[in-house]
Amino acid sequence: MEEIVFGIGITALAGALATVAGAAEDTESDIGSQGDPNSQVQLAPQMGYIHRIFNKAVAGEPPAYGLWVALGAGLAWAFMAMQINPILAIVLGSALAVFVQGVYATTAYLGRTASLAKFGQPVYIDILKSMTTVTMAHAFVAIFTTVAMCHLMIAALGHPFPLPLMGLVWGIALGAAGSATGNPFYGKERQYQEQKFGAGVPISASGNIVRYAEAGQRNSLDNGFFSAKLGGPASGICFGLIVFFELWRTVVFEELNIWGPIIVGIVVILVFAIIDRYIEVWARKNFGPYTAPEAPEEASS
Amino acid sequence: MSALSGPAQTGGVQPPTAMGLILSIVLIVVALALAFFLVQMVGVIALVGIIIGGVLIAFGVHFVPVGGAPAAMGQAPGIATGVAMLAAGAGLAGLFGGAWAAPFGLAVALAGGTIGGGLLMAITCTMVNVIYIFGMGIPAASGKVAKDPITGDTFPEYKSQGTEGHGLPFISWVGGVIGGALGGLGGTLIYLELLDVYQAQLPVILDVTVEQIAPVAISLAGIFAVGMFLMNAVLAAYNITGTIEGPHDPKFKRFPRAVIAAAAASAVAGIFAIALLELVGVF
Repeated sequence: MEEIVFGIGITALAGALATVAGAAEDTESDIGSQGDPNSQVQLAPQMGYIHRIFNKAVAGEPPAYGLWVALGAGLAWAFMAMQINPILAIVLGSALAVFVQGVYATTAYLGRTASLAKFGQPVYIDILKSMTTVTMAHAFVAIFTTVAMCHLMIAALGHPFPLPLMGLVWGIALGAAGSATGNPFYGKERQYQEQKFGAGVPISASGNIVRYAEAGQRNSLDNGFFSAKLGGPASGICFGLIVFFELWRTVVFEELNIWGPIIVGIVVILVFAIIDRYIEVWARKNFGPYTAPEAPEEASS
Repeated sequence: MSALSGPAQTGGVQPPTAMGLILSIVLIVVALALAFFLVQMVGVIALVGIIIGGVLIAFGVHFVPVGGAPAAMGQAPGIATGVAMLAAGAGLAGLFGGAWAAPFGLAVALAGGTIGGGLLMAITCTMVNVIYIFGMGIPAASGKVAKDPITGDTFPEYKSQGTEGHGLPFISWVGGVIGGALGGLGGTLIYLELLDVYQAQLPVILDVTVEQIAPVAISLAGIFAVGMFLMNAVLAAYNITGTIEGPHDPKFKRFPRAVIAAAAASAVAGIFAIALLELVGVF
């Protein structure tokens, strides 16, 4: 019984760490325009819309986070093998991984933006100086929490995977959850803030992203501020729920019966099916069918 | 009228060519023969398991509703990320569960992997709809079919002007869960087969006990399973080309080609994984 209580405590802690990781991951990727909305940031200058949005996408979020978290976990694992205290080892490993992220962000911004030179898009050095460190700070939070979570799964819950492999697995899952949940909010709700609310962005508006803020030109810190309100926390809840349910069903029900975690997993999937269907029907009832704007006008920036 | 009333969408279905088929069968037979020659019957059984695992992954990826960049702007239905990436996230979460349950036997571990992958997709797909509905005020609408095959909901009137649909209709949600579950099952099967091979071979070669060799065997099997997962997911993603809504999408019918390619690729990659220790021993 004591073991189960201990396991539930670790599960809750791992779920909480995952929630923070998801929120930091999505905010980091939105500041860097790393998810799918990046296509619009890259497209905008080609359509004549010069902007000051940071642009560091080279890989999708899942492989990028797979790399950074596996790197942080691998270094932490090496430090632990050198008899360094685990907490210190995880901090050091994550910090070193963040430097790789910083190099990646810098070269990606310079390379991607320089490729737009023939469309008149300048490389803003002040953007590079102010945004890179902010994405690095967010990446540190995401990597540290994920590596710490992986360490808990191995050291406290006895998962057989070594730390670097665990980092790769959960890093990719973190990127998948963060990009799936957070991308639409940043892409549609922020970059196309001027388009009609409650409808998709017409394909004809592609590239016409919002480039001006309350004062002056909009930059990616404004975007981070915006997506930290909903896209980030929602990604955090998504990844937190995944980690929590994945661990909880095993830790609590494996003692009762070896098939327990599987039956509980099926029940949880069915519960989410009901929730999904309920909100889908709720949206259809409350929002109603699409109505075209009365006088469709050309969106301007 | 919308694209729905246009000519019947074939989804660019291209049946596998005879040349491709023959080449794949030859590759698989050669790989099986090599497995028998290098690792005997155990190797053949493991390779068959790996091929089945690879096929399950490639087939499963076709179920996952992926909208890519257009989905992030509410221009196309699906989840706003890449096909291979999302499937990898789900499959690897399944692998995590399957590897954890490995000591309880093949059936429990495979079921654990299946449910692990399905659970990740169930939560992710639900959160996608939460963001679309409560964050952006957009109800789900498919662009490929007029009616949800499961719930019977109609879509054309909910679809925004100038888009191909948006959000995740219930059929796509179900497709996502099935895809994640198949991915988790395939990934776990590959991991367990390789783990068996390494746990049988390593103690003999290095003259140590199974317990002592466990971390090395688990690491090797795990990293090969991740690698083969990504390989099969990317193959399937090439077959899909871009976005897919789920099992109701006309593109879904393209799966035979990916399944054959995945079987051949898994056989070739699998022989390197199984005969790794023999190959290392040669040098």
